[in-house]
Amino acid sequence: MDKPSHLSVILDLSPTQWALCAQSTNPPGISLQAFLSQLLAFFNAHIACKDENTLAVFGALPGQSVLLYSSTGEVVAKDTEPTDPNTYRPFKTLDATVMNSLAEHIASFDGVSEEAPIGLVGCLTKALCYINRVTSNSSTPSSEGEGSAASVDPRILVLSVSPDQSSTYIPIMNSIFSAQKLRVTIDVCKIYGAENVFLQQAAHLTGGAYVQVEKPDALLQYMMMSFLPPPALRQLISVPTQDRVDFRAACFCHKRIVEIGFVCSVCLSIFCQPVPVCSTCRTKFPIKTLQRLNASRPLAISASTPGTPARPPAQRNGTATPATPRPG
Amino acid sequence: MAPEGRRIGDTFADDSDSDVSIFDHDDATRAKNKGKGKAIDRRKKDKGKGKAKEQPYAWEASYTRSWDTVQEDEAGSLQGAVQDLIARGRRRRLQAPAAAIRRTIIRHLVLVLDLSSAMMDRDMRPTRFDLMLQYAREFITEWFDQNPLGQIGVVGMRGGLGERIGEMSGNPQDVLKSISERHKLEPNGEPSLQNAIEMARSSMSHLPTHSSREILVIFGSLTTCDPGNIHDTLDECVKDRIRISIVALAAEMKICRELCEKTGGQFGVAMNEGHFKDLLFELIPPPAQRAVTRANGGPAANPAADLMIMGFPMRLPDTSPPSLCVCHSQMKSEGFLCPRCLAKVCDVPTDCDICGLMIVSSPHLARSYHHLFPVKPYQAVMTLEDPSNSSKRCHGCSVAFRNTPSTMTGASGEGFSPLGRYRCPECKNDFCTDCDVFVHDVVHCCPGCGK
Repeated sequence: MDKPSHLSVILDLSPTQWALCAQSTNPPGISLQAFLSQLLAFFNAHIACKDENTLAVFGALPGQSVLLYSSTGEVVAKDTEPTDPNTYRPFKTLDATVMNSLAEHIASFDGVSEEAPIGLVGCLTKALCYINRVTSNSSTPSSEGEGSAASVDPRILVLSVSPDQSSTYIPIMNSIFSAQKLRVTIDVCKIYGAENVFLQQAAHLTGGAYVQVEKPDALLQYMMMSFLPPPALRQLISVPTQDRVDFRAACFCHKRIVEIGFVCSVCLSIFCQPVPVCSTCRTKFPIKTLQRLNASRPLAISASTPGTPARPPAQRNGTATPATPRPG
Repeated sequence: MAPEGRRIGDTFADDSDSDVSIFDHDDATRAKNKGKGKAIDRRKKDKGKGKAKEQPYAWEASYTRSWDTVQEDEAGSLQGAVQDLIARGRRRRLQAPAAAIRRTIIRHLVLVLDLSSAMMDRDMRPTRFDLMLQYAREFITEWFDQNPLGQIGVVGMRGGLGERIGEMSGNPQDVLKSISERHKLEPNGEPSLQNAIEMARSSMSHLPTHSSREILVIFGSLTTCDPGNIHDTLDECVKDRIRISIVALAAEMKICRELCEKTGGQFGVAMNEGHFKDLLFELIPPPAQRAVTRANGGPAANPAADLMIMGFPMRLPDTSPPSLCVCHSQMKSEGFLCPRCLAKVCDVPTDCDICGLMIVSSPHLARSYHHLFPVKPYQAVMTLEDPSNSSKRCHGCSVAFRNTPSTMTGASGEGFSPLGRYRCPECKNDFCTDCDVFVHDVVHCCPGCGK
């Protein structure tokens, strides 16, 4: 309960989405500036909670992922401003570093590259690599002393404004499973846009919270109440959890949501009806099985009812285009 | 009956390396899943001992001289040398070719534990029996992590009989529970390979063809006490396409080797505690599917491929009204509803107890995808052609690279980079040793290219 915690924050910095978010009135949006000022307050709060608390900030920019700040000092800002006697110095360095590196990266883009999807996967995997390093380093010295395996309590917070990219399904799932293995909690804060099914699953599978912000002006309050307490404290305070997580899958052939599907034993592609040849790996299936399955099929035929909200499309990269996860 | 430590089919290419020859680096089934903590831990145990080329057998190891293998650097520090050794050992495990091979995703395994009096020997500490139980637990946990759609059953060999200890189950908790009570498994009597294998075989006889059937025997005795001809059993297993793997704790027996060879499994004799664990954990990654070209069927379309029917359940929220589950008859509010018969089960993946439908959730399917799309191995960077152009920090964890090559003698080769840099062939980003191992063993997704 008393362990220091490490927080890796992933900022979704898609310019298009932020522009939309700033203009949006219904639901109300928030501009990037206002967001950043609230965010810095949250960072300071995290650092202030405990002396040993650490922080890393990753930015998911279109087509790339960058480390914006880390407590171990991989990114250093040129400290030009004079020290302010009214500010606690670590807060100031933190704020200055985040803002400087952010400005640097945003300035380096031109409008052309804005179409690329944001590097969320890169950020997630980098955050995991970073946590892997931090936890394995810190556990070596402590193994002599107290013998506790992990002396920091790592977690990841994703601040998302972009919709799902169906092509990233597998990498995101892989990241989720490795987060589970490292015992990293993934929290998701959806500031703008439709529900993000992949991130919902990420939060659910790692025991984190998924929060859809309804009033972005009060963002700081959402973050303070839900994401500041470390996971160990989550049992004691009530953090919003998800009631309904769907594990149904969409078939590869018609993007229909299926309750009972037919799965290729070789590549695990999902089909809504028995097919003679797997469309993904070109495996031919025995006739006997087809006959048997066709016979049992009437049970499964009305699996998908129209008007069901879209579910996590369990499809693989390149095989198919996404079933859009609910129009937003 | 000559003791023989190496596995069948092991191609031990180099004998030059003295300290870590346990890390055999042979084949595609190389365990890619060991945490590095273990590598360090093992190294402590195994390193040293006067013999240059051979690992000590557990019974010969009276003392270890771990200081023999490390050398001080110029500054008189050992840290660099030790870290290099660790990095090299870890790196070695990644050398397996990442060629596209078809792997069995849906596995069924019967774990056969020797509970004969031979297991009370103390050549492995504390006893063979305790060590076996401990490793079996770790094995089961790791196995389910890598094979989420698999099922494990447990059979014991005791008093000349096969004894069913745990039913085939897809829930790791059930399997672990079945071997959790030590006093119920107290070893005695003679083991019977035939009885145990027959029992395992019968429990897998109903399985569909696309799933793999495997038997893993942990065998400590040097005898087997069988009611009939064990070669008949062997032939039956070959016919049923059951793969038998044996990890022996004492010495090689001809029948054990034959069982493994004929069925396509792996056979190994554990030399010491660390090697035992290695042999066991090597069997965790899904086996590459053998191209089944039996003489009778001609070039039949791969009989192992099949279309399976699966149900994707709805998870009931915690707030739903409690009802009885069909698997444990317990009153619970959370659970999953079978989409075909609407029975409520506690956990997925499982087979519905009422209608037999295989119930999985889409994350379970996704968990197996990384076996199908592995990350390409990173190439070790030997020299920096253009030091100014290359990044100074690891692309994954942003740790700074060292500037000067490592001073370790013989450090080059074996895919070990003296600079501690490993480059992704796709995105050309450099990664540190830790990230290299982490990306390939755990994340299965390159931070640079996102694939």
